[in-house]
Amino acid sequence: MKNHILEKRYHIEIIPPRHDADDLESDLATFAEKYRRVMDSGYCVCLTDNAMGRMTFQGHEVITELGLPVEPEQVMIHLNTFHSKEQLDEILTALQALGVKYLLVVSGDGAPNMMRLTPRDLGSEGLSVTSVELLRYIRANYPGFVPGVAFNPYEPAEAEFAKMERKMAAGASFIITQPLLGRNEMFERLLAKYPDVPVIAEAWMSKRAYLLSDVVGYEIPTDAAYDPVATLKELVALYPRCGFYLSILGFKTQYPLIGDIWK
Amino acid sequence: MNILVCVKQVPDTTEIRIDPEKNTLIRDGVPSILNPFDGYALEAAARLKDKDPETRIVVVSMGPPQAEKALRACLAAAADRAYLVSGRAFGGSDTLATSYILASAIRTLEEREGPFDAVFCGKQAIDGDTAQVGPEIAEQLGRPQVTCALEAFAEGGGLRVHKEVEEGVEVIDVAAPCLVTFTKPAWNLRYPTIRRKLAADKAEIPVLGEDAFPAIDRTRIGLAGSPTQVKRTFVPPQKTGGVTIREEQAADAAKKLLALLDGRGVLAGGGESHGS
Repeated sequence: MKNHILEKRYHIEIIPPRHDADDLESDLATFAEKYRRVMDSGYCVCLTDNAMGRMTFQGHEVITELGLPVEPEQVMIHLNTFHSKEQLDEILTALQALGVKYLLVVSGDGAPNMMRLTPRDLGSEGLSVTSVELLRYIRANYPGFVPGVAFNPYEPAEAEFAKMERKMAAGASFIITQPLLGRNEMFERLLAKYPDVPVIAEAWMSKRAYLLSDVVGYEIPTDAAYDPVATLKELVALYPRCGFYLSILGFKTQYPLIGDIWK
Repeated sequence: MNILVCVKQVPDTTEIRIDPEKNTLIRDGVPSILNPFDGYALEAAARLKDKDPETRIVVVSMGPPQAEKALRACLAAAADRAYLVSGRAFGGSDTLATSYILASAIRTLEEREGPFDAVFCGKQAIDGDTAQVGPEIAEQLGRPQVTCALEAFAEGGGLRVHKEVEEGVEVIDVAAPCLVTFTKPAWNLRYPTIRRKLAADKAEIPVLGEDAFPAIDRTRIGLAGSPTQVKRTFVPPQKTGGVTIREEQAADAAKKLLALLDGRGVLAGGGESHGS
């Protein structure tokens, strides 16, 4: 992952088509177009796992169905705890066969119709499965993957850093943050604490910053002015040792601009 | 095995709010979903098909044209064929009328699809919560029924059903043709694959209107055929949190409980001391 930062390789999030898509054919075509564009740019495609608790097709399913290329340095798959054990192993086996290397292991957003891994499934103790147990399971059973974890700079610091310690002990190789809206002290503390770990800062590329209210833990007004491109420029200038993960990126208007921002 | 699964499209009750003035559901902006219990019924059928690929799964839903979306979701997940029962004359049907219409539909579908060894239903729809339609269909068809099933296995030409009861699980063998209603098992309806979803989006879903049932008794359908009348809808007062007694010893907990009851005058006049 260090080479991603050295080579200034953006991580670009793409959400796979939803299970209840009204026009799946069209959604698949759009997905393929975005995926190929990111690959052609030399960036890293990051595919979410039922983000926000909304059921989508898994990254490996879409890649396989569309016959998309997998370059190990250019694909990252999110994996959360809202799966049955059978589904989890099916996903990991399929990703392995496709040659995927990077995983972002998170607890995830559930929904009532999703299964959830149990400690018994993963042979762990405790009452529930978090990214830590999932990470341990992957490290033990699928050693070929390079797993990373998430960091939330809006959580109470001590708890979040204690959690990060457990994630590192479980075998995390890199860290990706929740969206940063500018300079962030807790993020800087993270950089200081883990100087040798590759850290990727998420930049929220939607103008609708209020959608992040739940993430940051305070109400962002719906009419709050937010310039995502300016924020990305600010983050690039502030944090030169980091990589950048772009979520909700506009492929028509924003994509042509990002190459010049981080070079 | 030939299995028919009855399904219903329902509003996602996790997202429903109630108008505090009119005491009615605010349906605007509430997404429609496949009734989760019907999803469990479909999954039970799919599990039978996993063991015997010759098994055929037909789904039927009674509802407005929009209910087609729920049927396509069933096709995407596991069903082989889907039918929509839809017509103005069916509107306003209560559970009795609905079960009569669905029983008529099942007889009609058997002429097209062959006899069904089993009819599977969710134990109830999450919008009405009556748990009446499945059992009423069985009555209308004159077929044996098992309710609140967790899983069903093919056994001796019929089904062996694991039924949830208060004490645990009861195992019941039922002869085909039969009807089984399903409660929540330890799993969910399987996810669709991309290929199945693409095929489901293009599948033809025949609509059975009033004309499809020439022998139907029109006095038994729709509003006119529905003996249920809604007198009033209201939001029940919310229960307060109550008091939780967390003493480690049972005797301590009992003492605390008695003291609480005594303090509220519940025990007053009982005439007995609860000193120890």
